[in-house]
Amino acid sequence: MSESQQLIKKELSKGTNLWKDGARRLRRRKLAMVCFGVIVIYFLLAGFIYLAEFFDWQIGPTLWAEQAGQSYAPPSSKNIFGTDIFGQSVLRKTLYGTKISITVALCASLISIVIGVPLGAVAGYFRGFVDEIIVWIYSTLSSVPYILLILAFAVVLRDKTFFGYKLTGITAVYLAIGLTSWVGICRLIRGEVIKHKDREYILAAISYGCSRRRIIFRHLLPNVFHLVIIDFSLRFVAFIHAEVILSFLGLGEAERPSWGAMINDARIELSRGVWWQMAAATVAIFFLSLALNIFGDALRDSLDPKLRIQ
Amino acid sequence: MKFVSLVFTTATYQLQGHYRTSLPVRPALLVTIICAGLIIAGCDGSGSVEEPNEMVLHHVLSTRIKGLDPGNMRDVYSVIVASQIFEPLYQYHFLKRPYQLVPLLAEDMPQISDDLLTYTIKIKKGVYFQDDPCFGSTVRRPADRLAGSLPNGKGRELKARDFVYAIKRVANIKYLSPNWSMFDNKIVGLDEFREYTKTCKSEADVDYSRQVQGLTTPDDYTLVIRLKKAWPQLCLALADIATSPVAKEAVDYYGRDIISHPVGTGPFRLNVWRRGSYIELVRNPAFRGELYPSRGEPGDAEAGYLDDAGKPIPFADRVVWTIIEERQPAWLLFLQGKVDATVIPKDNFDEVMGGAGELTPAMKQRNIHLKTFKDPSTYWLGFNMADPVLGKNKPLRNAITYAIDREKFIELFFNNRHLVAHGLIPPVMPSYNPEIKEKGYAQYDPEKAQELLKEAEKIHGGKLPAFKMALPGTNTWYRQFGQLLKRNLNAVGLEVETEYMDRPTYLEKVNTRSVQMFTSGSSASTPDAQDFLAMFYSRYHAPGPNKFNYSNPEFDKLYEKAQVMLDGPEKRRLYRKMELAVLEDCPAAFLNHRVAYVLHHDWYKNYKPHAFAYGLSKYRRIDMAKRAAYKKLLKTIK
Repeated sequence: MSESQQLIKKELSKGTNLWKDGARRLRRRKLAMVCFGVIVIYFLLAGFIYLAEFFDWQIGPTLWAEQAGQSYAPPSSKNIFGTDIFGQSVLRKTLYGTKISITVALCASLISIVIGVPLGAVAGYFRGFVDEIIVWIYSTLSSVPYILLILAFAVVLRDKTFFGYKLTGITAVYLAIGLTSWVGICRLIRGEVIKHKDREYILAAISYGCSRRRIIFRHLLPNVFHLVIIDFSLRFVAFIHAEVILSFLGLGEAERPSWGAMINDARIELSRGVWWQMAAATVAIFFLSLALNIFGDALRDSLDPKLRIQ
Repeated sequence: MKFVSLVFTTATYQLQGHYRTSLPVRPALLVTIICAGLIIAGCDGSGSVEEPNEMVLHHVLSTRIKGLDPGNMRDVYSVIVASQIFEPLYQYHFLKRPYQLVPLLAEDMPQISDDLLTYTIKIKKGVYFQDDPCFGSTVRRPADRLAGSLPNGKGRELKARDFVYAIKRVANIKYLSPNWSMFDNKIVGLDEFREYTKTCKSEADVDYSRQVQGLTTPDDYTLVIRLKKAWPQLCLALADIATSPVAKEAVDYYGRDIISHPVGTGPFRLNVWRRGSYIELVRNPAFRGELYPSRGEPGDAEAGYLDDAGKPIPFADRVVWTIIEERQPAWLLFLQGKVDATVIPKDNFDEVMGGAGELTPAMKQRNIHLKTFKDPSTYWLGFNMADPVLGKNKPLRNAITYAIDREKFIELFFNNRHLVAHGLIPPVMPSYNPEIKEKGYAQYDPEKAQELLKEAEKIHGGKLPAFKMALPGTNTWYRQFGQLLKRNLNAVGLEVETEYMDRPTYLEKVNTRSVQMFTSGSSASTPDAQDFLAMFYSRYHAPGPNKFNYSNPEFDKLYEKAQVMLDGPEKRRLYRKMELAVLEDCPAAFLNHRVAYVLHHDWYKNYKPHAFAYGLSKYRRIDMAKRAAYKKLLKTIK
């Protein structure tokens, strides 16, 4: 056996897995990696604000409520994005808004995954009556226009108390978004599980006498989980937009700055020529949305087996 | 709709082959035209088409109206519209100041007995209700009454019994009128009638022929009102739309739908009402006729308010209200000349007002006029005196009062237009105390507030908890208002949680005394400050007008004494004493009095601001030539 043949054999015997291969492909995409960097910066900023609030650090974003200048002062070297009605720095508010948006999108994504993935897997694996019930539930839910559904949930959940915990501000927002947006991931996982359940590795697990729970959660879900990650990255943007819409409609965070609330404030300020609050919030949303979209597409291209073959 | 007809005419023309095009293009063109026609047909026009010489008043309402039943409404927007359709016995003189009552449906001012307990009022003859299907119909509540297909019956003549019926309706507990407090414990036998209505199953089961001793009609044109005790404000109440005559035939005919089928005696009648979007009134052909006032106050002639003296009114053929909740679209419509008058949105103030209180050259170029007047209103941050923490801690309430920077609030939210409220009675009222400012109750003094808070903590027995503040709105304005109050209170060391809620939730919470602090305001409906003082009378605790749940026996005694007094220096002295008693106990931090800044186009004539009257559309006139000229002017303005 030649040296090259031995090398190929060695490589083949080592094998590769979906995640490593996907990461390798992703690293090759320069633009996607830049976008990943942007996303990381937003996440780090949100995390840093959480830490600063927890340890009571007096830094820029946590001091958003302080007066930084005159009311409606235009952008200047002192206040890059100008000030709002109370003379608060728009830059600080924009930075603080990152925390609200990331928190809402993250929590809403996790809620939708926690509901959608197990339901989809159970429906796809068991089929029959269980499947019909779950399909009926999500078909009913998806028949209601999305924004109206979120609005209805947000209005109902707002200021309600559950187990002694009052749902105010962003809690009501991410619960409303999370509870209404699990249908897509549920449908996706159900379809994928239906495809996988007759494959050899599942048949082998059945023949070994594995329990249904073990088959679903230890065998099936890990093999379809890349879809959850792709879906997560793409939905994250939609959830940020949903938070902005809810805040714009007065159903979001009222006490602290969020991008949606800033746009809502700016809407009426535009007529007096105060454009900077609108510009700051829009720019922040634009870069995060763009980065998440490009990175989400790249992630799908790298992890989806069908696209990889092509 | 004219545009729609044009599209279909063009389509028909093409189909007939007058425009020759190659065959493959024609189906596509046809589909495009049909789609465009459907889209345009789906876009509802704003109302009836305006004829070239038709005089139409164009107004904007910022919220939808609830109904047009005069006995069962209190919101200002419904009153504005209904006041053009219904008429009470008296009205405020359009031009004279100080405000003066003059007869409207009454022949003259009432004859009052020496003991001030009996009022005899002669009713005008020859006043007719507007023509309506309810008159002459023998069918009670026909199923197709809403179809609008029935012919109008001839409106019958107004009789004194129609006023009795209107007042009895308000007294009917099943009718759930918000105006009952006006008559509570005032007219002989009316409270007993109200008690009787409690025994009836529904509003329709009430026997309105049941006698009320204090409301009699010796003949068709005489109304006699007998009072339990002197009530000098009765004439003011008889100028309120709630006492306007209602035809029993209309109530019987329309049943619950009477709120959308007003049948009045006024100069206009309802033509179109699209809830939430559009209201249109047309001239009432059965209106008896009225003349524009010939006398006003000094300066009225120079201002052009007497140009139409002695002419028959109304001038307008139609009155239109478009309901636009957002201020910006309403402002743009005004600039386009599609609305005759508007208030200035706060974010457009700099665009409108230049220095020295004058309009900017851009506004002058458009021939826009500015009118300002002091509105009889007061706004406040109220404290629930039934709250165990706030109610028992006067230094705490005082601290909150001193912590609020009212001037900053007025600067940020009202472009320095409003006045600081040093007390509860607005400056436009005759009983306003001009020395109230010197008392210092509205002073901004954070240091004093902090000192008072230390005292408040001693009374409370430890650190003060966070307080909840309820605001009746969730929009940007309320959010920013809440933020401002919170910032002021946080600055002196008070923790506050703001609760933004829709108005029904807010009202429910305030009425059930489950809020700690709440923001609200009130506008007087009469020149008597009694409306404001009643809000602190202990018999009227929430859900009554006293939302503060304030009790002060000394205040109550003064209030009861003043209630039966004729207007004069003694009564005003009592009012001022009561005001000081309230300010001393501090059940609210009074914030501001509104000063209205209204703009109107130069074609909108006879627009003299009035603080208490609403049925003023009959006086307005449009200079049609000037309105037409504005369209040309717009083309020259970039």
